[in-house]
Amino acid sequence: MSVGALTKKILQAMLFHEIWDAMKVTFKHMFHRPITFQYPREQRTIPDTHRGALALLRYDDGRERCVGCDLCEAACPSRCIKVVSAEDPSLPLQRYASEFYIDITKCVFCGYCVEACPVNALAMTKLYEFSTHDKRTLLFDKTRLYQIGERYIEDGKKYLIAHHQEKDDQMSREYRYYFPQSVLKATQAPPKHLS
Amino acid sequence: MKLEDQRTTVYKVDPEHPESATLPTLRTEELLLNMGPQHPSTHGVLKVVLELEGERLVKSTPVMGFLHRGVEKLAEDGTYHQFIPHTDRLDYVCAMYNNFAYCRAVEKLMNVTVPERAEYLRTIVAEVQRIIGHQFWLGTQALDIGAMTVFFYTFRDREILLDWFDELCGARLTTSWYRIGGVERDFTPSLLSKLRAFLDYFPPKIDEYVVFLEKNRIWLARTKGVAVISAEDAVNFGLSGPTLRGSGVDYDLRKYEAYGAYPKCEFSVPVGKNGDTYDRYWIRVQEMYESVKIIRQCLEQMPAEGSIMADVPSVTLPPKERVFTNLDSMIQQFKLFSQGFDAPPGEIYCGTEAHKGELGFYIVSTGGGKPYRLKIRAPSFIHMGAFDFMSRGYMIADAVTIFGTYDIVMGECDR
Amino acid sequence: MALKPATNPDVEAAAIELTIDGRPVTAKDGVSLYDVVSGTGKIVPAMCYHYTFDPFGSCGMCLVMVEGKKAPVRSCTAKATAGMVVRTEGDDLFQARKKAVEKHLSVHPLDCPVCDADGHCELQDMAFLHQVTNLANAKQKLIPEDTRSLVLDFNMNRCIACGECINVCKDVLMIDALQFVKKGGFTQVVAKGDQPLSCEFCGDCLAVCPVGAITNKFSKYLYKPWQLQKTTTTCNYCGDGCQMYVETKDREVVRVTAPLSWKNKWGDRSETAKGHGGICVRGRFGFEYIDSQARLKQPLLRRDGQLTETPWLEAAGQVVDRLAAIKAKHGPQSIAGLITARCTNEELYLFQKVMRVAIGTNHLDSSARYGHLSFVHAVRRALGVGRMTNDWEDITKAKAILLVGSNITETNPLTSVRVKEAIRVYKAQVIVVDSANTNIAGLASHPLMVRPGTEGLLVQGLIKSVLQQDLVDEEATGRHPKAFGALKKAAAAVSLNQVAAQTGVSVEQINEAASIFAEALRSIVICGEGVVRGAHGYRDVLNLVDLAWVTGKLGKPGCGINTVTEEVNEQGAVDMGVAPEFLPGQARFDDEAARARFAKAWGGESPASLPAAQGGARLIEILAKCRSGEIKALYLIGENPLATLPASMNVKAALEQVELLICQDPFLTETGRLAHVVLPACTYAEKEGTFTNLEGRVLRVRQAMDPIGESLPDWHILTAIASGLGYQMDYESAQDIQNEIMKLLPGYYNLGQPRKLAPKPDAYLADGYATEVKSRYASLGTRQSSMKANRFSLLMGQLLSHSGKLSTHAPGLIKISSNAGRLHVSQADMDRLGLGEGARVRVTSARGSLVLGVQMDRTVMPGCCFFPEHFNEPPVKDLMPVEVDAVTGVPSFKLTQVTIEKV
Repeated sequence: MSVGALTKKILQAMLFHEIWDAMKVTFKHMFHRPITFQYPREQRTIPDTHRGALALLRYDDGRERCVGCDLCEAACPSRCIKVVSAEDPSLPLQRYASEFYIDITKCVFCGYCVEACPVNALAMTKLYEFSTHDKRTLLFDKTRLYQIGERYIEDGKKYLIAHHQEKDDQMSREYRYYFPQSVLKATQAPPKHLS
Repeated sequence: MKLEDQRTTVYKVDPEHPESATLPTLRTEELLLNMGPQHPSTHGVLKVVLELEGERLVKSTPVMGFLHRGVEKLAEDGTYHQFIPHTDRLDYVCAMYNNFAYCRAVEKLMNVTVPERAEYLRTIVAEVQRIIGHQFWLGTQALDIGAMTVFFYTFRDREILLDWFDELCGARLTTSWYRIGGVERDFTPSLLSKLRAFLDYFPPKIDEYVVFLEKNRIWLARTKGVAVISAEDAVNFGLSGPTLRGSGVDYDLRKYEAYGAYPKCEFSVPVGKNGDTYDRYWIRVQEMYESVKIIRQCLEQMPAEGSIMADVPSVTLPPKERVFTNLDSMIQQFKLFSQGFDAPPGEIYCGTEAHKGELGFYIVSTGGGKPYRLKIRAPSFIHMGAFDFMSRGYMIADAVTIFGTYDIVMGECDR
Repeated sequence: MALKPATNPDVEAAAIELTIDGRPVTAKDGVSLYDVVSGTGKIVPAMCYHYTFDPFGSCGMCLVMVEGKKAPVRSCTAKATAGMVVRTEGDDLFQARKKAVEKHLSVHPLDCPVCDADGHCELQDMAFLHQVTNLANAKQKLIPEDTRSLVLDFNMNRCIACGECINVCKDVLMIDALQFVKKGGFTQVVAKGDQPLSCEFCGDCLAVCPVGAITNKFSKYLYKPWQLQKTTTTCNYCGDGCQMYVETKDREVVRVTAPLSWKNKWGDRSETAKGHGGICVRGRFGFEYIDSQARLKQPLLRRDGQLTETPWLEAAGQVVDRLAAIKAKHGPQSIAGLITARCTNEELYLFQKVMRVAIGTNHLDSSARYGHLSFVHAVRRALGVGRMTNDWEDITKAKAILLVGSNITETNPLTSVRVKEAIRVYKAQVIVVDSANTNIAGLASHPLMVRPGTEGLLVQGLIKSVLQQDLVDEEATGRHPKAFGALKKAAAAVSLNQVAAQTGVSVEQINEAASIFAEALRSIVICGEGVVRGAHGYRDVLNLVDLAWVTGKLGKPGCGINTVTEEVNEQGAVDMGVAPEFLPGQARFDDEAARARFAKAWGGESPASLPAAQGGARLIEILAKCRSGEIKALYLIGENPLATLPASMNVKAALEQVELLICQDPFLTETGRLAHVVLPACTYAEKEGTFTNLEGRVLRVRQAMDPIGESLPDWHILTAIASGLGYQMDYESAQDIQNEIMKLLPGYYNLGQPRKLAPKPDAYLADGYATEVKSRYASLGTRQSSMKANRFSLLMGQLLSHSGKLSTHAPGLIKISSNAGRLHVSQADMDRLGLGEGARVRVTSARGSLVLGVQMDRTVMPGCCFFPEHFNEPPVKDLMPVEVDAVTGVPSFKLTQVTIEKV
């Protein structure tokens, strides 16, 4: 090592040169815009794909999409869904979910239930602020899930499209599970897309 | 003499001065110190029982299992597909790697070939995850040792990638994006442009991290020559990943097993010389540069169009829009979700090079939709085996450095 | 296209050689190729095949390549011939089968989300297995769903026309209630004549349906198969003791299934004798009582005349204190107990142990006393065996079956399937001696319709005919010439013409029946409730033994005397010693050696620690002692004598007389309402244990769900009460009791495999027979036959959908067969008396009279009327007199003479 280089090294060591180097970087950042944002005054922009609270959806005419097939229950890796299905008392021969529970305390937000649903009745929304003082309110029942679905219907539709569950908004109107009529009396007209 | 004084005063027994015999004798036994399970630098809930001789570590015994959730047992209860979200929670810092390693193992079991485009997507995301993992390690290791600043910088950049994950799959940490036979969702143009922008943005930032540490004498003093392990010992202890390569063993599954799109990319595997913490730090920094390189190459080579899921009707899910209108797809959907696919009897092991080391899944199948037994070879767990060996003789303050040097995450270690 | 069964006990088919997938295979000539292939362990997919009936060949899945044929052939309808070279695997076959599946799929609706069969669907399995993709949009048939039936819904959109339901109904069960109909361009399954389905409702069509075309109305839309927890257990209705799966979801029973299903279609056709695995309407649809709202959830204690809910601790404390007080004051002989034969063996054993040891009384009885004990006593006396001598396999393979006084299709539906199998496969001649034109009489080759109560007489006629026609087996009678002489002498009093006149069966018919029975290679006697519950049950069974003896059928393989029981564990109740005359293992209670053995096992020093050898009261005597005040405390487990016995028994007075009436039952029964303490017991679905069915097969009962409310298994309650009374019992589970029984009765737990019993008639024939036989035939000719226009024989009996009183708590069975409160009368009589459907009549017997409606029943013979014994509204049973058999103590109250007047 040359004398010059050695001197430089000694000087650097004495003057804590590496500290100055680092301070340079730090000081440069004083002129940057801060990257932190002030939650909850500022909110993150949530992407359409975001897997937030689950919601049950209705068709445009207000009918429940869910037919109570229990496949979400089977698909759920944390076993947090419970569907009680039954024959719809108002619409004979039609299956529906008389009760539907999602235990949000157990839910892992994997989105498998949405993927499994054969009628796209479930969707995830951008809702993530549902913390509460009472753990019991985190057992989402059918009413609550439909409420979320009504309120965040746009999120839900965007989610389904973003996750390749639906092609476009038009398609979502078409699925309609067709139940057979009773031999005793007509219970519903055959759907258009089937006739 | 009062009792309080006895506790605080140190007496020396001098045989040449008989009067000292009247004084109490000095106890010289090793001190047992429990470090953890609640300790900020144990990265989870790890307890280490340290035997100290003065400030020197004589023996250290990791006590594990505080974060044990029985994940391997859970795997036996669900279908193969259902286990993917559980793997998110192994190494919760880098969920994508766990997904990747698990899916690869099941694909090996089912003999499923992943389409080319999906292979590229998987490789890109795996490398993004590697960057996140190394950023995380760098920030927290520096923080553990006492350098606070780096933590802010690495976490700032990590945040960009986590948001990118959110847009990719809907979650920042618990991703579940990989699927058996492909991936869940393709890149969108927005994701691609964001990733490209990041690739331009990121390498200068690595230089910045380095400025803080590379010449910092405290950093050097705390890392150089700490937690040294020879190449032979490292191999014998089964270490892998940067922990192994730091000791000068050139072993990287990405090269040797050549899975994903790695064989089509050019990249080098940095290897250390001294086997100390500093070398491992250096390797991880270099790997970040290499990852950027790999991602760039993948983005160039990736076919613009193509399937992202293998088309094996007995294993992979049908396209959703067909489920609504076609009976065959609906049956496929119902069979796969309610019963899973029928795996052939047999057993397989498949290791994947995660940023920590070799993450392996060993699956025993007796046929049917559920694994008979699933064993996870978690690098953190294997590395903890060498902890006692690597920490002997070091100061108590180095204990934090030493388990930091493995990049340990207890979620994976205790499973 | 009927293919004969693979083996027949009489004709052995020739063995042939053929090659399957390069391997030489030996098979029987003329058998379906599919059976041969599946016999080698290879599974060729087939959706319309089931081994219990002949191949139908509609699904087109079971394709194999036969050398020399260009196209694949359907293996099920092809016959195996010598030298055939068959290939069952290969890509071409896979593709051909795939095409067949696609054909079915292309007209199948997208019903998986709402279909109950989803996850248990052969069409799904086949589509998935053959990796069907790229199917065009499904065509919809848009057939309306047939929901007219009471228990089954037919959604013909899902039907793949495999015909399994029709075949199983027609071939196996011989009901033939379903048929194919071409309607709206599609072949559909409908009930005969496109009417609402009306059949035995066994639900076997539902079980074999490989898709969801037939659904169970009681569990429709309530479940998906993957949610259900399946528990293999034993049905607790009749003595058949069928194996079934109770499927539960959370804490409710969703459905009951049985081993018979499309899933177990690969069986050996020659082994159908071991049972086709189905269950009947009671088992399949009568499960709803288990989680019924009416179940008792808490103990009830009478306070101020009212039954009030009380905690267990207090109720059990009361029971123990009051029993102890009564025992101390009046002695142990003042306590008696009755238990139902629907309890498990362990509970029955424990009950008699508690009564005999912890309390010290021998006043105990079970519901086997209502009939089964007639049979047991008779065969013990004559043959030295304690139950029926044959098993189901023997019944199936019999060549002649003499069915006396049994409506077997309704009382024991699965035993009747064995008889049907004998008729269908082994071409058995069946002689039915009964007073009703039952289903089995319709299928039988020789239905002999007798006047009510004359079944025994006809048996005597048969013996007389055997003697007259010289159908006597010289070898059997030659060994006991003295006995044979006595019999001949006794039978001399019988005149065939008189028998014919009284029974209404012609002499020719009697002679023909006798010769069929005597000449057949394997002849089996089955006697049912018409004999064992009749006034001379004991005598008539002994006469049937005579018939078997003189024709040489005793001890020959495949021949024997058998019975059927109403409650599942009547045989177990006798075997466990729940009768004053028996110790466990049917050891006589007065047998000193047995007494010493059991006394020692139960912790006593000498036989004296057991109750006195004589003086134990049987059912009717217990009630009499209650009335007279000798018995102060009565402990009833699942028994409901008030609702079972006619008013002439004065049961109510007896029950009101006792100081302490404990009623332990899942439901609050009529008797329970009079009780001082009511303890809630579990049903069979909530406990562990075993049942012994009529064959002597010991069958497991497994717990399918947690007990409802605070109800407890009977053994648990018994253990607690015994311990409270100072006899410490440390049983922690039914298994502990079972271990004790295993030690005391080695070999009793023959789980699944009954031993065939060899009859040992020699002892009886050599000693005692000659003196007894005379009295057995002496009563002939004394019977009055009164043939007035409005004189009727009122019969009470079982219905297919019900079993005892228990099934009336099952809403499903009540829906199928509710209590119409009407008297069943034949069409001829209705016309004769000018009655329309629902007309009101006054029925008068010696015991009283009441007014009720009538309905036509084609099974009822003219001159008879019938009322189901399950219902007490109106209380028809109170018209009945009670005759008690002196030997066996069996009360008979199922038949009386009444007059019917139109009101």
